[in-house]
Amino acid sequence: MKEFLIILFSVILIDNLVLSRFLGVCSFLGLTKSLKNAMGMSVAVIFVMLIATAVTYPIYWSLLEPVNLGYLQTVVFILVIASVVQVLEAVIRKAFPPLYKAMGIYLPLITTNCAILGVMLINISEIYSFPAAMMSSLGAGVGYMLAMFLFTGVREKMEKADIPDFMEGLPSTLMAASIVSVSFMGFKGVIENLFG
Amino acid sequence: MLLSVITQNPIVLPALIGAGIALFSGIVILLVFRFFRVEENPLQKTLEDVLPGVNCGGCGYSGCAAYAAALASGEEPKTTLCTAGGQDTATAVAEVMGVEAGTVVPLVANVFCQGTTENTTKRFDYTGTPHCASAAGLFAGPNSCTFGCLGFGDCVAVCEFNALYLENGIAHVNHNNCTACGKCVDACPKHLIHMIPKHELATNVTCSNHWPAKVVRKACKVGCIACGRCVRVCPVQAIKIEDNLAVIDQEICIHCGECVKVCPTNAIRQGLLEGPEAS
Repeated sequence: MKEFLIILFSVILIDNLVLSRFLGVCSFLGLTKSLKNAMGMSVAVIFVMLIATAVTYPIYWSLLEPVNLGYLQTVVFILVIASVVQVLEAVIRKAFPPLYKAMGIYLPLITTNCAILGVMLINISEIYSFPAAMMSSLGAGVGYMLAMFLFTGVREKMEKADIPDFMEGLPSTLMAASIVSVSFMGFKGVIENLFG
Repeated sequence: MLLSVITQNPIVLPALIGAGIALFSGIVILLVFRFFRVEENPLQKTLEDVLPGVNCGGCGYSGCAAYAAALASGEEPKTTLCTAGGQDTATAVAEVMGVEAGTVVPLVANVFCQGTTENTTKRFDYTGTPHCASAAGLFAGPNSCTFGCLGFGDCVAVCEFNALYLENGIAHVNHNNCTACGKCVDACPKHLIHMIPKHELATNVTCSNHWPAKVVRKACKVGCIACGRCVRVCPVQAIKIEDNLAVIDQEICIHCGECVKVCPTNAIRQGLLEGPEAS
């Protein structure tokens, strides 16, 4: 249990997907203009993250690893994640129309989201057990959601600020993102003291 | 022999595994799509192609797709709501829907204020954030006329068609670019922008001040003082004084220009503005 908690909290706070590992930055910058978009994308990411782990983990350990083809993981995972997202979209659209309306347009965006692929590859390289891999995926998704929500708040404040012309738009957004990222460095060492 | 090639060769096995997974996912996707197919209304797709696709929201829906969906499902009987596309789009939509094409009265946005920096003065120096909304929140803005245009361009910022521009401290509409989407109407904290029927001699009391004459004269050189001369001179009784402000009923107005001649403060303006296309 303690091991799972350590994985969960360290993935959310210390190795935050967006702010420390710099994965999924495109959607992080693109969809943090309003809380509604951030919410939809985050929920979709958490959802796909868990299902993609449940699919890619067995593929690696029972198909690729036994025949020493670990190096194929990137290609195979991209293929599998894209297919899983397509299938999920079709199923959700038919079975849960309200859910499709809420996160439908964000699902295709996730197909090629580096955050998902990154977490899959990290789960493999850390040699997690299956429950630990699921926990790490959940933590990564929740960490993504946390980063999205925090940054949406920052950007809503920036909308009202008087920014010089040459800094308006992406430059100021990127600088704000880097400052938020730096602030997450403050969590270094917290986990060791919490559970150690 | 074949088995040894597959297991020994460093290319064949990876290729087989990759192709196998691809084939398997392909079949799964195909099956899932077959079983979970959602019937889409083909009419909606056709309508989306006909609509201009600028998603301005002028029709009252969140975008062209939403309007197309409402039309296709029969919730929305009106085919003339698209202001950006005008008559051409209305005709095309009506054709797709199989109903008679209605006529679109083209509208254009108009700023009901002439309180330029020459015509008004400042009550105080405003040094806050340069947005109309925040300026309006501080003692109703720094202008001598608290009904007037603040000139920070909240309307210019929301316009997606470069139809608004700032000149001499107030906003103007370039009618050539305006599609009457109505975003500026919502953006103006002073509610100075209204839609008027597009006519090249459109005549308007370009003032929104409801103060009595004496106070208006102090605040603005071109404010409406509600003297009523235009009301008496109008041949079709299109003008009424409402709450210390003359208002011209655009439905009745025949654009004769008599009121423009008699207005003592030049508050009535005839004709639409063209202006520099905002960069």
